[in-house]
Order: sequence, then structure tokens, then C-alpha cells
Amino acid sequence: MTELLRQLASLDGTAGDEKAVRDFIISKIDGHCRFEVDPLGNILAFKAGKNRSVKKLLVDAHTDEVGLIITNVTADGFLKFKTVGGIETAVMLSRAVRINGSINGVIGTKPVHLTHGDEGKSLPKPESLYIDIGAKSREEALSFVSLGDRAVICGEYAENGNFICSKALDDRIGCAILIKLLVEDSDYDFSASFTVQEEIGVRGAKTAAYTVDPQAAIMLEATTAADIAGVPQEKTVCSLGDGVAVSFMDGGTVYDRAFYNAALQSGIKCQPKRAVTGGNNSAAVHLSRGGVRSLALSVPCRYIHSPSCVCDRDDIDSAYKLARFMINGICSGDIE
Amino acid sequence: MDIKTTLFTLSDAVACGTVYDARDIASHILSKYTDCKKTDTLTVIGTLKGANSSRKIMLDAHIDQIAMIVTDVDQNGFITVSKCGGIDLRTLPARRVIIHGKQRVQGVFCSIPPHLGGGDTKFENIADFKIDTMLGDRARDIVSVGDYVTFYTEAKPLIGSRVAGGAFDDRAGVVCLLELAERLSKTELPFDVIFVLSDGEELGLRGSRTATFDIDPDEAIAIDVSFSDAPDVSGDDCGKMSEGAMIGVSPALDGGISRKLIDTAKKNNIPYQCEVMGSKTGTNCDVISVNKGGVKTGLVSIPLRNMHTAAEVIDLDDIVSVCDLIEKYILSGGADI
Repeated sequence: MTELLRQLASLDGTAGDEKAVRDFIISKIDGHCRFEVDPLGNILAFKAGKNRSVKKLLVDAHTDEVGLIITNVTADGFLKFKTVGGIETAVMLSRAVRINGSINGVIGTKPVHLTHGDEGKSLPKPESLYIDIGAKSREEALSFVSLGDRAVICGEYAENGNFICSKALDDRIGCAILIKLLVEDSDYDFSASFTVQEEIGVRGAKTAAYTVDPQAAIMLEATTAADIAGVPQEKTVCSLGDGVAVSFMDGGTVYDRAFYNAALQSGIKCQPKRAVTGGNNSAAVHLSRGGVRSLALSVPCRYIHSPSCVCDRDDIDSAYKLARFMINGICSGDIE
Repeated sequence: MDIKTTLFTLSDAVACGTVYDARDIASHILSKYTDCKKTDTLTVIGTLKGANSSRKIMLDAHIDQIAMIVTDVDQNGFITVSKCGGIDLRTLPARRVIIHGKQRVQGVFCSIPPHLGGGDTKFENIADFKIDTMLGDRARDIVSVGDYVTFYTEAKPLIGSRVAGGAFDDRAGVVCLLELAERLSKTELPFDVIFVLSDGEELGLRGSRTATFDIDPDEAIAIDVSFSDAPDVSGDDCGKMSEGAMIGVSPALDGGISRKLIDTAKKNNIPYQCEVMGSKTGTNCDVISVNKGGVKTGLVSIPLRNMHTAAEVIDLDDIVSVCDLIEKYILSGGADI
């Protein structure tokens, strides 16, 4: 699954511009399930299993990632931009970026030698940042890029033993797991969605949940792990290597307690997410139509929303195993 | 020599402290064109003989780059580092690095998540910025105190002749030096030309100081990078990218050399711009010029954006201008000594 993840994470798919990711996913699941693409660009799939399910279950992962959108070009040929999704300013300074999947640029930073007083100790205002693609004028820049083009901050996929480091692990990890679940034989029928625009307010999930109309849902996600030097244990949220994180509540959702308990008691390595922060597609899905019982399974991820997300491959494996366990449990009726 | 390929190879390689990759690559290229040796202090010196072997000009470019050095390794795989050269702490969160331990491994500077107040980070002390080795409890087997750490960089083409990458400070200067070695090796020289790949510039102009003592040149020119225009850099503080070689003019430099460089550029239609400084230059020139009884010294720089980051930008055409200028300067007889 890590090779699949490497390929997925290397694709660029800023929110609203997920086509490259969508096309890749379709190439992998085609022939293994029925699917359609909805008006927003969600892939809505149905996996026929060996048995019929007692509940209509939706398993979801989002295809988009945080990125940048070009808003203007200066007379000197520098590109102005806004963030698409939450990106911290420090993570943008003097980084390589890639526009439209092909054009190289860098986000400029005033040299440290030229900063005065406290200027070098505080972050510049995000609106002062710009991308340099090497253009000498506005006209030259506009012959290579157009307003509204998307960019990502480059973050090559790398592995150190069990650790994986890349951009876009949020949520290509979920995509990789969901592809695997769809390609493999399933004991039970289930629906799946690869959704767009999660990072700008869980928008794809809203329409996907409406169309699929499920009774239960599982989000496959990545979530903040703060198990890093200097952070006290009670603030770590979750820890790499301790298994997939299961949420009881976050900034967008109160999760179904029966599903939560069943996951924790599955015998598969997992940990409760130990904070009420963040959010994911279940914020839209659990309030869809008359309400949907929801569960979030999130792979712990350090430095999330940066070009250097770090995850543990054992946690990805446990997320896959727990997702399979919950699909079978919910669809068979063993988990009520 | 292909300037772009050589620059990309040299800038993606590393040279700092006990890591010699870029120096070894540059040294190998230099040895193709010159009589090349390494000194005890690891500086590489290449010599081309000229008609008058009692006179010599030294050309200097520093081979080292900014780096960090490990001061602590904890049991969970996080390390603390100290700076080796000027580093902007604001650019560190989630920055990818290479840790030069028993093996080379990628690491990541920790970024404090927003729910823990990441937005209030104080950018004052690099010891507050831990590096995640992604090795967990195996870190102490691979990483030791005293190991070097550098930014992970990957040189890439931008539009036209501009390129982006790390360590262009001063691999861009090193590429000029190597290109000049190739060009000058094919022609009759008026006097000896000594090429110096100096170490330790970012830690206080160290390698050039000792190399100049050994060589004892009659005149010297350092090739370095200097600040280029950008939206957040005042035009008064910098040169302009793509507008040619920056010729240094400073009380610490020899006025005759500066004037002759300007005249040479004018006469040969070589793009140039003057970089006027009010005091010392902050380059190897500051130590070369006061070697022994004094050395007439000049400075030629390549305009560069985002200095000391992994996103430095230069124009390859400016490298060509620097090479053209120094080649013509030497072939026309150098300084009036």
C-alpha cells in the first residue's frame, strides 16, 4: 500500500482542482466496483460484496489537499496568491512550489541579513508573500500561468524505516486505504466516496452524502499528532505507532458512541483521539438528510497541512484493518 | 562544461564541516583543467601557469554552505542543533533537512500545530526548534552530537535562464571558477592564475584566510553572490537579477581593480552593475586583502534572491557575464600593479 500512497501523494490536487487524483483513483478501482462522478467531482462507488448489507454504509476519503491559488501578478512578474485550506505562514517561506503540476516557482523570503530589529523574529504578513517563477514581467508570467491556477508546496515522498514523510498525506492515506478496500473482495456490499473540497469546508462530502443517502458512515482520514519534543503527553492528541486514532468528538462532529466503542474493543491496535479539535467530512456527513451514524478513523500525522507530513506505516495498516473490521461489523449487523 | 548541469549537481551535493561531497565534485572538475592539490586545511587550489610566472592572480569562491550542527539527541528521535552560518528561523517549521549521521537520513523541523499555539512561535533561539529524525528510538544509533545537518534542496529550472535551488551561495561562484578554469586552460595567460575553492566562509571567512597566506598572490578576485531585487527588498540594498555581473566598489576593495573591471565590461559590452558598499564587503575579500603585507583585491558577484534559504534564485546568464568579465580582465593584463 505504500507504493500506492507514494503515487497518490505525489499527485497535485489542491481543493477544487482534484482531477489528477480523481483520474488516478478511477484507473485503480475501474473493474472492481461500479462508480460515477458527480457534478462537483466526487467519485461515488458501490462495491458488491458476497453478502447484502443490513445497513447502507458509506466509506469516505477526500481527494483534495491544501494548496495555493494565484490571485494576481505584479508588474515585475511575481505571482500573488491566497492559501486554499489552512497553511501556516512559516511553512510557506522560501519553499519550492509547483503550479498546475508542472511550472516551478519559489516563495520568496527577505534575506535574514537584510532584516532589521524584530523583523527577523516575527512572521511576515501572508498577504506580503509572492511566488517567483523567474518571470521578468507581468506579461511573461501570464504567458505561463493564469489567475486562478493552483499550486502546491513541494514535499517529496520519503521513507525512513517505518516513517513516511510527504506532502498531502492528508488525505491520500485515506484514498490509498479506500482503493485497497474497493479492489479487494468484500464480504458485504458497501458504498464509497472519494470527495472533493474537504479543506475549504467539507463541501464534496455534503453532496456525496446526499446522493448516496447512507445509514452509517466511516471517514478514513489523517489527524494531527503532536507527539513531538517538548509537548506534554496530555496535549499530544495521538501518537505515531500506537495505531489508528478513533474520534469520540471533534470540532465538527459528535460521533456515534456504539461505533466508537466497537472500534476500541475490536482487538485491532488503535487509540482514542485525545482532544476535541479539528474536523473532517463527518461534519457534513453525520448531519446529512435525517442524520447518519458516523465514525472517523484517522492515521496520526505530525506536521499536518505542511509539505512534510509524517506518519507511521503500521498506523496505516491498522487503519486499513480496523476499517475492514468495522465494514464487516456494521454491514453484518454484528455492530448495532 | 555545461553551466546549468554543473550548478545543479554541485548545489544538490553538500559541503560543510566534515561533509565534502560538493568539494570533491568541484575538485574533480578543477583537476581536469588545472594542476590541482588539496591543502592540509582542505582548501582546493588549482594552478594554471602563465608567461610571467613571477606574478599570480588568485580567484576565490567558497565551497562551503550554511549548515547546522547537532548538539543533542533525545531518546525519542528528536535532535537539537546549533547554527553554522546565518539561518532565518522563521523558515524552519516543517522544513526538510538531511542529517549527515552514520547514514544520511531525512529529518523534518518540528512544526507546532495550531491547537498548541503554533501561531505564537517565537523565532529567537534555534535550540527551540527540534528536528524530528523520523528514526524514533533508533536515532542515537545513527545520529551523534557533532554531526552536520543541511537543508534538503533540489535545484529546479524556472522560466528562461533563471533557476532555483539551495547552496547557490556560493556554488554559483564555484561554477564561475570552474568555467573560467576551462576557458583559461585553452589559452596563453599573461601570468599564473590560481583557483581557490575555499572552505569555512560561512563560519567567518576561514579557508580563504589561510589559502591566501599559502599562495601569497599579487592580486585577487573573489566570486560570490549578492542580494538581488525582490518585492520585499529595497532597491537601494541590492542589484538586479539578469542585469549582469555585480562589480564591487568598497573602501575595503582596490579601487583600481574595480575601475578596470568596469572598463573591461564597458569595452567588451559585458552586462554589469556596480555594487557599492560603505565598508567591508562581508565576503572573503575582507580577509584576502589584508593577507601578509596586503593584496589588491576585487569582488565580482552574481545577483541572488532569498539568500541562505533552500529557495535561492539566480539567472544563469549572470554567471556567463561574470565569467566573460573575469576572463577578459585577466587576458587584458589584470590590475596595474
